Amino acid sequence: MRRQLVDARRRPGPMKLRGDAPLARVCAAVILTALALGATAAEKPFKAPRTSDGQPDLQGYWTNNTVVPLQRPAAYADRAQLTEAEARERLDKALEPSETEAGTDADVHYQLTDYGLDITQRKMNLDTRTAAIVDPPDGKLPAPLPTAAAKAKERADYTRAHQYDSAQTLNLSVRCIVWPHQGPPIMPTGYNSNLEIYQSPGYVTIITEMMPDARIVPLDGRPHLPGGVKQWLGDSRGHWDGNTLVIETTNYTGRTQVPGTPAGLLLTPDARVTEYLERTGADTLHYRFTVEDKNLWDRSWTAEYPLVRIDGMRFEYACQEGNYGLANTLSGARVKEREAAAQGTTPRDPVPPPRR
Amino acid sequence: MPNHLRFFSRLAAAALGALLAAPPALAHHSFSAEFDAGKPVSLRGVVTKVELINPHSWITIDVKDANGLTTSWMVEGGSPNVLLKSGVTKNAIPLGSELVIAGYQARDGSNRAVGRDISFADGRPLFFAGSKPDKAAE
Repeated sequence: MRRQLVDARRRPGPMKLRGDAPLARVCAAVILTALALGATAAEKPFKAPRTSDGQPDLQGYWTNNTVVPLQRPAAYADRAQLTEAEARERLDKALEPSETEAGTDADVHYQLTDYGLDITQRKMNLDTRTAAIVDPPDGKLPAPLPTAAAKAKERADYTRAHQYDSAQTLNLSVRCIVWPHQGPPIMPTGYNSNLEIYQSPGYVTIITEMMPDARIVPLDGRPHLPGGVKQWLGDSRGHWDGNTLVIETTNYTGRTQVPGTPAGLLLTPDARVTEYLERTGADTLHYRFTVEDKNLWDRSWTAEYPLVRIDGMRFEYACQEGNYGLANTLSGARVKEREAAAQGTTPRDPVPPPRR
Repeated sequence: MPNHLRFFSRLAAAALGALLAAPPALAHHSFSAEFDAGKPVSLRGVVTKVELINPHSWITIDVKDANGLTTSWMVEGGSPNVLLKSGVTKNAIPLGSELVIAGYQARDGSNRAVGRDISFADGRPLFFAGSKPDKAAE
C-alpha cells in the first residue's frame, strides 16, 4: 500500500451565483504537503514510541478521512492499486464542488463547502488503493447468506416505509443513540471523521468524535461479558501482539450494522470483530479489521484504513435526541400524510414489520 | 500519458463520478423530510439567539417585512464541531448582526428553515470552511 500524507483542505475561492442563492465555490488548489512515508520507512524502519508503562504509544487525535470506498468499484475490475498519478486525479475529482439543482430534494441541505462538510476539507492520506477491503482479494464484500439477505430486505423495506412513524422508529443516529461508523469496526464518516486514543495502565480508550462514547478496552485478559449482556458498541477485549494492539469485540445488540454493507444487514449477537492497530510512523497509524458473523456471511472479510494524526483537541459532539430536528422531521411527515390523504393517496406503501 | 494509463485514468474518473453522483451521505437526518424543496425562502434579519448545539446549530433571527411587522425565524445550521474547526464560535455571530439567508422552509409551514447559504449583510459568508469569518473581513 503506497500512501502519502496529503492536506487536502481547500482554500476559499471566488463566489458563484446559482439561481438566487450564492453558492460558495472553492478553487481546486490542493495543498499537497507530501511526505514520502513509504520511501522513508524503507530506509529506516519506524520504531514505535512507548508510553511510560511500556505500551506501544497509539495516543493522540487521528482521522480516517478518505476517498477510498469500502468496496472496489466495478470499473476497476481486478485492479487493487492505482498509480500515484491516478490517485491524485481521484482526489482532484473529489475536490470538485458538487452541484445540486435548486428546488430539488437534493438541494435541501447546507452548502457543503461553506459549512466545512466536504470530505476533502480535512487532512487525509493519498491512498492508492481502489478499495478498503483487502480480503476477499477482489475488494468486494462477500455475498450475504440468502436468509440474511432476505431478512435485511424486509428490514430495509419496513424502515423505508415507517422511519417517520414516531420518534422510536427514527434511526439510531438521528436519535443520537449510536452512529454506525462508531463500530467496531470504526469507519470513515464523511465529516468529523476523527477519533482520539488514550492509554492508561491496563486499558486503551477509543473515542470517535461522533458520537463521543468512550470505548474502554481492558488489556488484562479478562473474559467477555456474559452473552446475555449486549452493548451498542459491543464488548471489547484487547491484547498486544508485539507492537500491534489486537481488540476483539463481541456482544453486539443485533441493531447496528457496518456502514457500506447492504441496507438492513444488521450485525447479529454472534458477530465478532477483530481490530488491529499499529503505529507506522510519527503521524500515522494502521487500522485493520476483520468481521465475522456466521449468520450473515459464510466467510470473514477484512478491510484497512490508514489513520493520520490531526491537531487536537477533540470537541465533544454532545448530540441530544436530534435536538429540534427530531420534532421537525416528525411534524413534516405528518404534513405529508395530511397532503396525501387530501389527495386520496398514501405517502407510502404499507409494509409489514419484519419478522423477529 | 501512455494510452493504457489514460484509459485507467478515465476508468478511475468514471468510477468516482458514479460514486459522487449519489447524494452525499453526510446528512445527520433527512433534510427533505424536515424541509420542503417547494418552499425556497430568502430571509434578511437580525440575530437574536445563537444555539451551537449538536447535531445541528440553530440561529434565530428577527425578520422585518415591508409593513414593519417583525417575525422570528429559526434557521438550522451545521454541526458545531465542524463550525468550530472553521473558527466559527458564538463570538463570530454577534447578537444584533444582520444576516442574509437562502434556504428552504419547514414542511409544516412554521417559521423554520434550513440555512443553505448564510451571509452577513455586507456579503461575507458566515460559514466558510478554512476561513474564519473575522479573517474573511480583512
